[in-house]
Amino acid sequence: MNQPDRFDPLDPATQPVVPVPGYPNTIRRNPSRAAFRRVLTRTELTGPLDLAEKLRPGDDNLAVLAPGRMAQGQLIHVGGRVLDEDGRPVAGAIVELWQANAGGRYFHPIDQRDAPLDPDFIGNGRTRSDDSGRYGFFTIKPGAYPVPDSGRWWRPPHIHISVLGPGSLMRLVTQMYFPGDPLNAIDRILNAVPDAAARARCIAGFLPPEAVEGDWQGFTHDLVLRGRHATPPL
Amino acid sequence: MTPRPNAPLVPTAWATIGPFFPQTFFRDGDNDLTRLAPDAPQTAQGRPFWLTGRVLQEGGGPCVNAVLEAWQADAAGRFRHPRDPAWQQADPGFLGWGRAWTDAEGCFAFRSILPGGYQDASGPRAPHINLAIIGSGIMGRLATCVFLPDFAEANAADPVLSSLPAPLRPLLVARADGQGPDGAPRFSLDLLLRGDAAEETPFFED
Ligand SMILES: [Fe+3]
Repeated sequence: MNQPDRFDPLDPATQPVVPVPGYPNTIRRNPSRAAFRRVLTRTELTGPLDLAEKLRPGDDNLAVLAPGRMAQGQLIHVGGRVLDEDGRPVAGAIVELWQANAGGRYFHPIDQRDAPLDPDFIGNGRTRSDDSGRYGFFTIKPGAYPVPDSGRWWRPPHIHISVLGPGSLMRLVTQMYFPGDPLNAIDRILNAVPDAAARARCIAGFLPPEAVEGDWQGFTHDLVLRGRHATPPL
Repeated sequence: MTPRPNAPLVPTAWATIGPFFPQTFFRDGDNDLTRLAPDAPQTAQGRPFWLTGRVLQEGGGPCVNAVLEAWQADAAGRFRHPRDPAWQQADPGFLGWGRAWTDAEGCFAFRSILPGGYQDASGPRAPHINLAIIGSGIMGRLATCVFLPDFAEANAADPVLSSLPAPLRPLLVARADGQGPDGAPRFSLDLLLRGDAAEETPFFED
C-alpha cells in the first residue's frame, strides 16, 4: 500500500480526560489498562464506504414530527461541513443527531427526570453530507438538565452528534454546545478536554439573522473527523 | 427476521448523560451483516453464523444501552474498500458492517457470514470481527477484535492476537455456543470493559 499506515497520532490535550467527577460511567466503563498498540492491517484501515442503504438518511427535520405537529421551543437550524484531517470535505457521511427537548428531557425510557415530555418531539434525526461535505438539521434548541447525584452539575444545552464517514477511521461521536451559554464554562464533560482550542471546536457558531433565510436561528458547526484540528470525541 | 435485544431499559439516573442513543435509531436487521439493508434479502456469500455476548462494566454488571459496531471481511477475506488491494473482487452482496445495542442484561447479537482470513504485510490475519463500543461514559470508542475458536492454528499465527500477552489472548476468542434461531452456529464472547487484569477485555488503540 502506498498510503500511510497510520494517521498522525491525536494530541492527548485534545482528548477528554476520564474519569469525569460525578459521572460514574466514566470509571465503570473505561478500561483500567491502556489500549494496546497493534500493527495496522487492512482490517483496521478499511470500513464501509457508504452506509446510506443500511442507515437511511432523509430525517433532517426534528422540529416537525408530522404535518401540523411542531415541537415546542426555539426553532433552530444546525449545519456545517464534515471535514477530514486536511480540511477537505467528506461527502456521503452519515450524520446522526440526538438531543433533549426544550425542557431538557430526553424521549428515552432511561430518562425519568421530572421535566415535561413534548408529545411532538422525539429528538433524533439522520442525514447524509452532500458532495461539498455539507450537512444540516432543523430542530429546536434543547434545554439544560441537571445530572442526578452529581453535586449540582447541570449539562448546558447540547446536541449529540455521530458521524460515520467512509471507512472505520472516519468515525466520530461528539457533542455540540451553543455559544455564550454560562453553563458551558462549568460543564464537566467539555472541561474534560484539556486544550482550550479543542474545547472551542465543540461550540457552534451563531449566524447573524441576516445570514439566515428563514424564521429560525442559525448555528454553524463543522465536524472534523481526524487530524490535529479534529473535533474532540465526547 | 433476526431477534434484537429489545427489553425495556432499566432506569438508572447516572446513565442520563453521555451518548444516549435513541432507541428509534435502531431497526430490526441493523445487526445483520448478511444484508445490504435491514429490509433487503440476504445476499452475502458464505456460511452464516451468530456472534452474541454481553457487555459488562466494572463489578460485572451489565452495560446497558451500549452500541456495538461490527466490521469484518467477506467470506474470501476481502474488504470492499480501496485500501484492500483485492477490493474490486470483494463480495458485492456483503456490506461487512452492522450495529447492535445492548439490552437490560447487556446482551447483544450480530448475524453475519464467517469472515475469511488474508495475508497481510505483517503476517497472516486469522478470520476476525472488529468491534467498536460506544456508550455513556465511554469518550470516543473502545476498539477490539474477536476471533473464532474453529481457527486455532490461524489464531496462533495472527500478528495482532499474538502481540498480546499470552494470558490475555483467550479473552478475544469467542466460544462455540450452539446454534442461533436459524440453525446457524453461534459463538459467544463477553466483553468486560473494566475489571481484574486477568478478565478485562483487551482493547486496541484506535
Ligand atoms: Fe445529553
